[in-house]
Amino acid sequence: MSDAPEVSIGGFKDARRYGRETLSARSYGKALLAAAQADPRIVVLGADLTQPTETYLIRDQMPDRFFMLGIQEANMVGVAGGMARAGDIPFAHSFCVFITRRVYDQVAMQAAYPKLPVKLVGFIPGLATELGVSHQAIDDVALMRALPNMAVIEPSGPEQIGAAVAAALDYDGPVYLRLAIARARPDESAPLQPLELGKGLVLREGADVAILASGMMVAEALGAADLLQAQGLSATVANMASLKPFDHALTERLARAHPVMVTAENHSIVGGLGSVAAETLALAGVATRFGMVGVQDVFAEGGTTPYLMDKYGLTARHIADKALALRRRA
Amino acid sequence: MTRNTYSVPELEARARVLRRHVVRLVEKVKIGYLQQGLGAADIFAALYFGELRLRENDPDWPGRDRCILSTAHNTAVFYATLVERGLLPPALLDSYTDDGSALEVNASERVGALVEATCGSLGQGLSVAVGMALSVRRQKLDSRVYVILGDGELQEGQVWEAALAAAGHDLDNLCMIIDRNCMQVEGHTDKVVRMDPVGAKFAAFGWHAVDIDGNDMGQLTAALDAARGTRGKPTLIVANTLAGSGVPFLEGQLAHLARLTPEDAARAMAILDEVPA
Repeated sequence: MSDAPEVSIGGFKDARRYGRETLSARSYGKALLAAAQADPRIVVLGADLTQPTETYLIRDQMPDRFFMLGIQEANMVGVAGGMARAGDIPFAHSFCVFITRRVYDQVAMQAAYPKLPVKLVGFIPGLATELGVSHQAIDDVALMRALPNMAVIEPSGPEQIGAAVAAALDYDGPVYLRLAIARARPDESAPLQPLELGKGLVLREGADVAILASGMMVAEALGAADLLQAQGLSATVANMASLKPFDHALTERLARAHPVMVTAENHSIVGGLGSVAAETLALAGVATRFGMVGVQDVFAEGGTTPYLMDKYGLTARHIADKALALRRRA
Repeated sequence: MTRNTYSVPELEARARVLRRHVVRLVEKVKIGYLQQGLGAADIFAALYFGELRLRENDPDWPGRDRCILSTAHNTAVFYATLVERGLLPPALLDSYTDDGSALEVNASERVGALVEATCGSLGQGLSVAVGMALSVRRQKLDSRVYVILGDGELQEGQVWEAALAAAGHDLDNLCMIIDRNCMQVEGHTDKVVRMDPVGAKFAAFGWHAVDIDGNDMGQLTAALDAARGTRGKPTLIVANTLAGSGVPFLEGQLAHLARLTPEDAARAMAILDEVPA
């Protein structure tokens, strides 16, 4: 429906298909609407959470493409598999915990094993909710990453969300899209960021510390780089939005080029970004001073996001402190 | 493409052929889904030879009717049906459950397009069928979607989620057949969890539900005809089947996995080879 994108963001296979509007959208709802307008195969499934999953634009503007199933995530994933088998591209929505852990077997058998183009879209990553442990997805990346055929994408924020939707469409298979609920109007002046499956994105170049981050921890990682700068250290920050497939080459290169590497994720350190980076380095035979910032294999509780991020060690200061401690280690 | 126009006696003859395959296949592996296969042979014959619109030379045809086997372990009768319907090469049956064979104990889509979904993890087939029914309807295809569930499978909560969804979306292109053989691993289904009345439960959910003798071909074809004519709601056919149906000395024996000796297999084949009166 539109020409090739004006914004140059990544090497998409079929950028014309998603249109300029998808790639330049700064909210998930707008990106999805634009994608659905460009591709008649896209259908949107909901499990009662239309507002928080930003699917009301589709519901209101393309009602024949919107299917509300009610509070039944297991059925929704099976339905998505059936629709994909009949030629549609379903985007199924819930909170991160319910679109992964709650429906793991359904995802495995009806999306991952048959490698269907089912796009599972979760909101509320990690500790980012006051609702408490029932709604905190600290193992969703680990779970989805363990499934063959599954791609896992966690964009850093509004500047990367259009590219994340396009990347999910670019992959002819199941995708888990891990998104944060927007807390403020997106900054329209911030430059858009590309997102290519299997590619990390270096946001800042340094020499002393390499920080790999995903999702909302990208901003914390940039803050940590500022804190380190104040101490006379320069940090490289990479946004690893493509958690699977993972940019092993970039990880290895950064580990070889910096004496210290720290990963930062709003997720358990078991099975997520830190684990995949550690696996990468071990398999590549790269020995480095390596640390993982993330939820330290504990369940959390409800609370405001700043409170929880501080309590569970997920702030810029925690990242910087980890890097400094590793530097001091002989 | 129109549906087949086999008569009831012709379909019954097909079911006898399927039963012979079931005995032969289970004899080969010595222990297997014998009782379920014999019990469901009439359902498979009615669906695959009478009801489903399929193209032997184009199994992926988007306009085909879909049939999902949610009880994916009932493969002796299922694979035999695909072979007899001309959808699989007959020689493939000889590899049933062999290492490396696509004909696994639980049907997976390694077999090909006519395994419409990989089930076996019970409770998922109806959800997939609901998705297919939604999509073919929105694509304005007149395909119908069929799904075979076991009665023990009704104990899975997801079935009831999907039952709500199917009725809530008025899916009259969807027809579920519950193979009510009263068997699960633990024993008689009603002794594990009371299931009756099955049809009334679904009727209360907004389905068109009928209860039939699942080993009576006339009742099966009539119920499938009625399902096709039902508007605005999905259809449930509760097919009450007799475990081991067609082989009197096996009938009524509830065995999730039955052993079959060569002697009993020969006895069963002799019975199934008799030309019916």
